[in-house]
Amino acid sequence: MPAVQDTIDRVRKIDVDQYKYGFQTEIAVDKAPKGLSEDIIRFISAKKDEPSWMLEWRLEAYRRWLTLEEPTWARVNYPNIDFQDIYYYAAPKSTPGPTSLSDVDPEILKVYEKLGIPLKEQEILAGVQKTDASEFEEASDNVYKSGRVAVDAVFDSVSVVTTFKKELAQAGVIFCSISEAIREHPELVRKYLGSVVPASDNFYATLNSAVFTDGSFVFVPKGVRCPMELSTYFRMNEKNTGQFERTLIIAEEGAYVSYLEGCTAPQRDENQLHAAVVELVALDDAEIKYSTVQNWYPGDAEGKGGIYNFVTKRGDCRGDRSKISWTQVETGSAITWKYPSCILRGDDSQGEFYSIAVSNGYQQVDSGTKMIHLGKNTSSRIISKGIAAGFSQNTYRGQVSAHRKATNARNFTNCDSLLIGDQCGAHTVPYMEAKNSTAQFEHEATTSKISEDQKFYVMQRGIPEEEAIALIVNGFVKDVIQQLPMEFAVEAQKLIGISLEGSVG
Amino acid sequence: MNMHTQPQRTPAETALIDAFGDRLSLLPGDGAVMLKRDDAIEAIKHGLPTRRIESWHYTDLRRLLNAVPDFDPAAAAKAIAPIVDGSTVLSLLNGVSNAKAPTVEGVSVQRLSEKLTDGSIAPGLDPYGSDDAIGALNTAFVADGYFIDIADGTELEKPVELQNLQAGGQTHVRLPVRVGSGAKAVIVERQAGEGAALTSSVSQLVLGEGAEVTWLIVQEQPETATHLAQFKAHIGKNAKLTLFVMNAGGKLVRQEIMVRTTGEGADFKLRGINLLAGDTHTDVTMVLDHAVPHTTSTEVIRNVVTGKARGVFQGRINVHQYAQKTNAKMACNTLLLSDDGEFSTKPELEIFADDVVCGHGATVTEIDHDHLFYLMARGVDEKSARGLLVKAFVAEVIEELDDEAIIEALEARLDEWFVTHG
Repeated sequence: MPAVQDTIDRVRKIDVDQYKYGFQTEIAVDKAPKGLSEDIIRFISAKKDEPSWMLEWRLEAYRRWLTLEEPTWARVNYPNIDFQDIYYYAAPKSTPGPTSLSDVDPEILKVYEKLGIPLKEQEILAGVQKTDASEFEEASDNVYKSGRVAVDAVFDSVSVVTTFKKELAQAGVIFCSISEAIREHPELVRKYLGSVVPASDNFYATLNSAVFTDGSFVFVPKGVRCPMELSTYFRMNEKNTGQFERTLIIAEEGAYVSYLEGCTAPQRDENQLHAAVVELVALDDAEIKYSTVQNWYPGDAEGKGGIYNFVTKRGDCRGDRSKISWTQVETGSAITWKYPSCILRGDDSQGEFYSIAVSNGYQQVDSGTKMIHLGKNTSSRIISKGIAAGFSQNTYRGQVSAHRKATNARNFTNCDSLLIGDQCGAHTVPYMEAKNSTAQFEHEATTSKISEDQKFYVMQRGIPEEEAIALIVNGFVKDVIQQLPMEFAVEAQKLIGISLEGSVG
Repeated sequence: MNMHTQPQRTPAETALIDAFGDRLSLLPGDGAVMLKRDDAIEAIKHGLPTRRIESWHYTDLRRLLNAVPDFDPAAAAKAIAPIVDGSTVLSLLNGVSNAKAPTVEGVSVQRLSEKLTDGSIAPGLDPYGSDDAIGALNTAFVADGYFIDIADGTELEKPVELQNLQAGGQTHVRLPVRVGSGAKAVIVERQAGEGAALTSSVSQLVLGEGAEVTWLIVQEQPETATHLAQFKAHIGKNAKLTLFVMNAGGKLVRQEIMVRTTGEGADFKLRGINLLAGDTHTDVTMVLDHAVPHTTSTEVIRNVVTGKARGVFQGRINVHQYAQKTNAKMACNTLLLSDDGEFSTKPELEIFADDVVCGHGATVTEIDHDHLFYLMARGVDEKSARGLLVKAFVAEVIEELDDEAIIEALEARLDEWFVTHG
């Protein structure tokens, strides 16, 4: 059946020409010359004051990248990218590495204010400025006070500020920009960087390894439950720049961390490239929860401009009983090419992927996940919902595989898609590979999966059919939304409000 | 950026290209047919598909096809009894049709070699795309087959069984079948033989308005054979096609199924069982195009994997932009019974129309322990209990066919497989 009117209206509200974050800000910037060469990489590395091993690592990745070809297997079309026509480094001039918010260019602060980062975050940003000292005391007796978020704000190529650092340090948590981590904690970075997504992994990850400029670094030591949500907010401002951030999160034995990421960019006619790499490492009994609200500029109603979002995200459940959970709400970008994955290496480890992807205008989304079962008794769960409207193409592409030794591997996959209008397309491309006879994989892609029993149960209590379905659907969708931290849940709620009536597999 | 250099030809590629040169003078066909053959061999000269070609992702033909037997003029295949008594048998022995084929009222049967010689079959010889290696291989080498035309309104009482039997060497056959409007028929395609043969077989079916056809593919090649097959069908207005595929043999098997609904009200049913043993590599790949509004389809594939077998099912349902009110459902269930076996599946949906109901499901599991317990608690020993459950798992698909004689015949084939491999 076709989509219901309510759904159509809700999707229209987030249509491409309704993009709220498209403003740009005039800020003096320090840029590397256009183009890519070993010299540019040396320039970036020098700017960041990096040790020589880091430069070597970058150069090696660059040489590797020169031998690679752009992947073409995804269901996305775009003109050839001229990699020499991009600025690989752009940093606001007035901030050569601020330590607190008061050092940050007020123009940049205004940007973040204008972006409508959830209100709570803004209060906290303000709070840092005012009560830096008192907060320290307060923190010591109430580290688990909920609702606070530490933010790392990345503006073009550099991290401009990281909040709550002191309080986090007290708990033993390191949260800083990756450039700082390379300088301050080289032993940790060296140990883990590239251990999940090797420098030679794929075309875009390799490019990122060569030229990444900033990103966040999180280290949660053994047995520590991170006292607050951590968050990074990415903003691409400068024209013709590419953003290449690198995020590395390590949770040691028994640690827990919840991390969220948001992103926006100005409205421009040219396409901009964003090629990030995110690596997660969970050791024994650790848990990492990674949430994304991706709202890069999607291009205008004619498909002009927008961000090319080519991202490699991968989590390694390295320890036994570890857990990694990805939650993503994707509404932006002209092109999305992203498959947050879990390598379930430790015995009894768990991987989760919850995704809602809404495409509109001429957006192209090719997203999904990979669950690679290597350890014994590993389990994974995939819930994906794609909504395509306008002239967009929305593809779910996922892989679930069990290796020879992955006894008792379990997977459940459910992906639904919804089409609004007959000019768009929805596609499902799941790959299932079982090499172990005790593996149990289930994949389904229908909406008729609301069980008759459930419906009967609700209707029997005098609730009309339509309301009964809505009730059940809402209950089901809650599973996804509950994975998001409070701060983003509200934003995502608007999207989830979209009924799934009329969806197809 | 590095340059992709043309890799060295594999021995199999070289053998195919050389064989074409040797066979050329013996292949039937007029100018038009010969042009198609030249194009096809050119495609093979570019290399057999590798896993980098998406449609061959799980069957790297270039790597897996490591030996190509020579053509063997001395090979003598023997005709076998049809699976349903009283069927009209049209046999192809080592790729050669019978000059004195039996006749049935309302059915015209021609030898394909004649149609190739006069060129009337030439338009149908084009491969469907650059990744159609089986189509290209067959077009290059096809020498014979049957061209069958079932007249409008004909209702066949007994099945027509097309036997493609070989005894080593290479055979390349083609079976174009047209079923007129309102006609009804059951057609059995038998693929069997002995020896380490290479077989390519392409069936092309066109269903007229309101025609109803049940087509059974029973593939029981020896464990040494390479079997590359294609089944293509166009289903016309209000026509119904039930395709049943049973794969129970072969070393390297690829069965492609390309179906297109071309008229409103068309209905397609695919039921398949893959019984995989030894070290077979069996790939069933389906592409179904819902090209017009109001058409329906259901596909159910059941796989049993034992030994070191590798199984693949790829199923893609394309719903075209104007194909509103499409209803398509696909399920692929696999029982993985050995630790050395593996199964990969890729059920795809490509949907461009918004008012449709489409779904797919796929599972890979071992035998349900509760079921096993239930039977064993009743005194059935474990081996028999497992046997019963596995058989029930696949027999369920056969029982959906509503023709007693056919169900019995297929269950007999199933029993035979379980006797040798159970």
